[in-house]
Amino acid sequence: MSATAPLPAPQEAVRIEHLGKTFPSGVRALDDVSITVREGEFLVVLGLSGSGKSTLLRCINRLIDPSDGRVFIFGTEITALTGSALRAMRRRIGMIFQQFNLVKRHSVLDNVLSGALGRGHMVRSLFLSFTPDEVAFARSCLQRVGLLDRASERADRLSGGQQQRVAISRALMQRPEIILADEPVASLDPALRHSVMRHIEALNREEGMTVICSLHDIDLVRRYASRIVALKAGRLVWEGQPEHLDASTFREIYGEDAEPASNSSVEEEP
Amino acid sequence: MSTPAADVNPVHKAVLRLQTVLLDTILIASLLLMGELQWVAFSGRRGSTGLLMPAEEILKILDYGVLTLVAFVIATAWNLFYRDIGCSPGRAWVRGEPPWERDLPWQHTLRGWFLALFVEFSFFTGWIITEVNLATFLTKFGKAWDIIRGLLHPSGAVLDQGLILLVQTVFLAFMATAFAIPIAFFVSFLAARNLTRQSLTFRLTYTVVRTIMNFVRAVEPLVWALIFISWVGIGPFAGVLALWIASIASLAKLYSESIESIDTGPMDAIAATGASYLQVLRYGVVPQIIPPFLSFTIYRWDINVRMSTIIGFVGGGGIGYILKPRVDLGEWGEVGTLVLLIAITVWLMDLISAKIRERIV
Ligand SMILES: Nc1ncnc2c1ncn2[C@@H]1O[C@H](COP(=O)(O)OP(=O)(O)OP(=O)(O)O)[C@@H](O)[C@H]1O
Ligand SMILES: [Mg+2]
Repeated sequence: MSATAPLPAPQEAVRIEHLGKTFPSGVRALDDVSITVREGEFLVVLGLSGSGKSTLLRCINRLIDPSDGRVFIFGTEITALTGSALRAMRRRIGMIFQQFNLVKRHSVLDNVLSGALGRGHMVRSLFLSFTPDEVAFARSCLQRVGLLDRASERADRLSGGQQQRVAISRALMQRPEIILADEPVASLDPALRHSVMRHIEALNREEGMTVICSLHDIDLVRRYASRIVALKAGRLVWEGQPEHLDASTFREIYGEDAEPASNSSVEEEP
Repeated sequence: MSTPAADVNPVHKAVLRLQTVLLDTILIASLLLMGELQWVAFSGRRGSTGLLMPAEEILKILDYGVLTLVAFVIATAWNLFYRDIGCSPGRAWVRGEPPWERDLPWQHTLRGWFLALFVEFSFFTGWIITEVNLATFLTKFGKAWDIIRGLLHPSGAVLDQGLILLVQTVFLAFMATAFAIPIAFFVSFLAARNLTRQSLTFRLTYTVVRTIMNFVRAVEPLVWALIFISWVGIGPFAGVLALWIASIASLAKLYSESIESIDTGPMDAIAATGASYLQVLRYGVVPQIIPPFLSFTIYRWDINVRMSTIIGFVGGGGIGYILKPRVDLGEWGEVGTLVLLIAITVWLMDLISAKIRERIV
């Protein structure tokens, strides 16, 4: 504890070691991917469609089980957890999806409350019953994304951007330390993208949540990323700061113009 | 969730190959048998008296063993050399069509000709086996006229009894449907492929449940009624049980198919919050399937009302119970009354169920 000791570097939040995933169909979606994400980072994952971005994010919270490699969350190996220990770990990781994935027929408030499922009372939750504390917190989460006045409406009545904000407050309801966002704005009107991205940015800046987010739009990447990794056909091909992401690097990642011949082998989707 | 890759698994490969050859064998064998049936029927060989010979007599003299063996050999050969002679129907069914035949019109593939021949043969075989006789159909109408006249002049004699039994009929259908709902609901989750992938136990349960359901559905409600009559005795309760078991099987199938077509996104989202599997089902699955479930249930109730009107023919209660003896005795006026009552009920139920389903969907 001497005064001369250097300031501790930010603790690592997620460490991915030699991660690989082969789907039953034989597709090798991830191959030997290693990434370390420190607490408070806003990591953007870049890559062509089919390059394995969703697979990577889903391996982090084990919605997909990787075929090889390991993932550590705050030092605990999530790839070794099962049952309630895995669920307890998932509670600390909020996830936001491209298609929002709200329960369409439930109210906005019920959707937000479902973020507390991992913590609440099992039997009560099956009857959609939550404690007053949980309801109050859910309302404050909705307030943060500016949708409190829509709380009792059916989720599918909201616009795409609003639905994604509901999804963000569902993730907030978990009081997560890490946010995974899989192309959170890809199915939104370009004009609405910043309104959603700014909320995610706020969680990162104000709450210190670690964000791992896949994005397509180069402007958004430059604006929000604190660090970038790029995937190509399941492999990590580039890693760096947003200011180093120039046109030639971008072309290298996306490949089209640079190597038209190999383009088809990159995108193996039918 | 990590299962071995389907395409590199040798057991899986062998099963596919066996399926292909079996399907082709069945198809080719039935084609050969149809051919022999017609050959015997039209040629008058082997003591056959040609078209006058009853079909069951012809069916007795066909060479089942030999033809199946021949079919098996052809099927195997076809699947060994399918690259040269064209893809077989079984192979196309099991594996999908090969790319080089996918866009060909049917006349340009061996498979197409084969299937066309099969349809044509089926038609002529059916003509013989079902003893189609256009001459009698066109000339012997007179007898049926008595019945139609009776139906057009309903008698009031059975009206009271008929109305009482009609109420019983509707409730019989109602009880059968109501008892079937909770069981079918539970079973449908075990019979949905997308919810039963996680482990071997689940996959096994899926297969067992599906097999039982298919068997139950293969047996007609009237047969179930006979079984339950010998169990609980003649009367409406046997009818309730018969329709109940038939409804479970049919609802479980319809329910599980709507579970299979849900959007899995919400399931992922709920699982990602750290929820348990039951909670994932409750939040990620149940809200999505409520509308189709309601719609299927009403549809099934509608079918049950129809079925319950005839389940009495074999002793299962309801209006059919007094209809059967009157048909046997030829009291067409009373039959007319009962048939009218049934028609009005079924029509009303149809109308109501269509209205309710319209509201839901
Ligand atoms: N459940 C699955 N079963 C089989 N193959 C899959 C599955 N999910 C993804 N894949 C394959 O894995 C590869 C990577 O897919 P992934 O969804 O991770 O890509 P992505 O970078 O997220 O693409 P996109 O930008 O289109 O979302 C693709 O080739 C895809 O076809
Ligand atoms: Mg994706």
